[in-house]
Amino acid sequence: MENLGPAVTKLLEELNPFAVLGKGAAPGVELAKNAVVLTNYSFFLIVAVALTAIFFLIASRRMTLVPKGIGNIGEWGVEFVRNNIVLDVMGSEGVKYLPFIVTVFFAVLFNDFLGLIPGMKPGTGTLGTTFAWGIMVFVVYNWVGIKKHGLWKYLKSFLPAGTPLVLAPFIYLLEVISHVLRPFTLGVRLYANMYAGHIVLGIFGIFVVMAAAALGPVTAVVAGLSLAMQIVMYAFEVFVAFIQAYVFAILTAVYMNGAIHAGEH
Amino acid sequence: MDKIIPLTSELLVSLVSFAVLFVVMWKFALPPITKMLDERADKIKDSLEKAEETRVEAERLLNEYKEQLAEARLESSRVIEQGRKVAETMKDEIVAKANEERESILARAREEIQGEKRVALAELQASVADLSVAVAGRIIGSTLSASDHAALIEKYVAEVGSLNEN
Repeated sequence: MENLGPAVTKLLEELNPFAVLGKGAAPGVELAKNAVVLTNYSFFLIVAVALTAIFFLIASRRMTLVPKGIGNIGEWGVEFVRNNIVLDVMGSEGVKYLPFIVTVFFAVLFNDFLGLIPGMKPGTGTLGTTFAWGIMVFVVYNWVGIKKHGLWKYLKSFLPAGTPLVLAPFIYLLEVISHVLRPFTLGVRLYANMYAGHIVLGIFGIFVVMAAAALGPVTAVVAGLSLAMQIVMYAFEVFVAFIQAYVFAILTAVYMNGAIHAGEH
Repeated sequence: MDKIIPLTSELLVSLVSFAVLFVVMWKFALPPITKMLDERADKIKDSLEKAEETRVEAERLLNEYKEQLAEARLESSRVIEQGRKVAETMKDEIVAKANEERESILARAREEIQGEKRVALAELQASVADLSVAVAGRIIGSTLSASDHAALIEKYVAEVGSLNEN
């Protein structure tokens, strides 16, 4: 067991992005922040996004009054987001933002799921993606708020009605900070869940391999238990993948709803 | 700290990918799906409303039919009763008529028999007269004159006629 440390280090290194296209395209090569490359995460992100688009394009061409097959699955997905996220959080007013929220939900979901296939990575397993989408949500919901109320009124709405004048600057600053933090919390939450999930699966994988290689009655039991744990954790990761997509989409809806109803509370 | 600064190319790739996916979903994939969801919701609502209407209508018809059935039952028993009465009347009439006819046939037959009997008796009278004259002639061995004949016949006929009256 003396090589557990190096194995874990190797696992962590393997989770770092590397370029598959562009300068320095090889596993393990550290990338400059501004390098013009396509990373392995970006590659699988494009695959997942393409699969999402293809799936929904096919589903949307298979619409029948009595739902069946792939059309039924696509419909069920859209209906789930519409009823359980958009209508629940935003009410009927939110229906016009359905395309955005559906895209957010399924982009995250397909990426999370793709990363669970051995040998592939989740596009959402890198901060580049999760921060970008967090910032995008931030821009979109603020834009919705400004468009609805006008810039001045929207900015004013950050200050709750009836705040004592003395406290106003302090409260306002807090509100602004809480808004500015949103894209980062969105990004980090998703990234950390994917990252941690893959580490857990990787660690149990290492246990299985190392314990099995040690060839002993005790290590055989350890290997078996680790394998069982890995299967359980894999199922759990499928659940996490769904939950994270749900959380990302529902927070997007909550932020948008807040922007639409800015100044009403 | 370095770890939490994202790669610029990853940011760009994910933003562009999302934008493309969003346009595809918004313009091409979602409209048919949401249209179908709405259509189905409308259709189900319509169907439920129609089903309710049909149910009410069916109930109304059922009551109507029940009433009609009860009426028909009443009517049919009335018709049967009437039929029975008519049949009975007809039976009585037929029986009466048959009796009448029988009587008239019998009467006619009786009359005919009487007539025939009368004719037969008349014929018999004549034969008996002739025969009696012939027999008497032979017994007394002489022939009577024509005037004797006539007197004898008249006397005999008068006797037979008195017999016939009984």
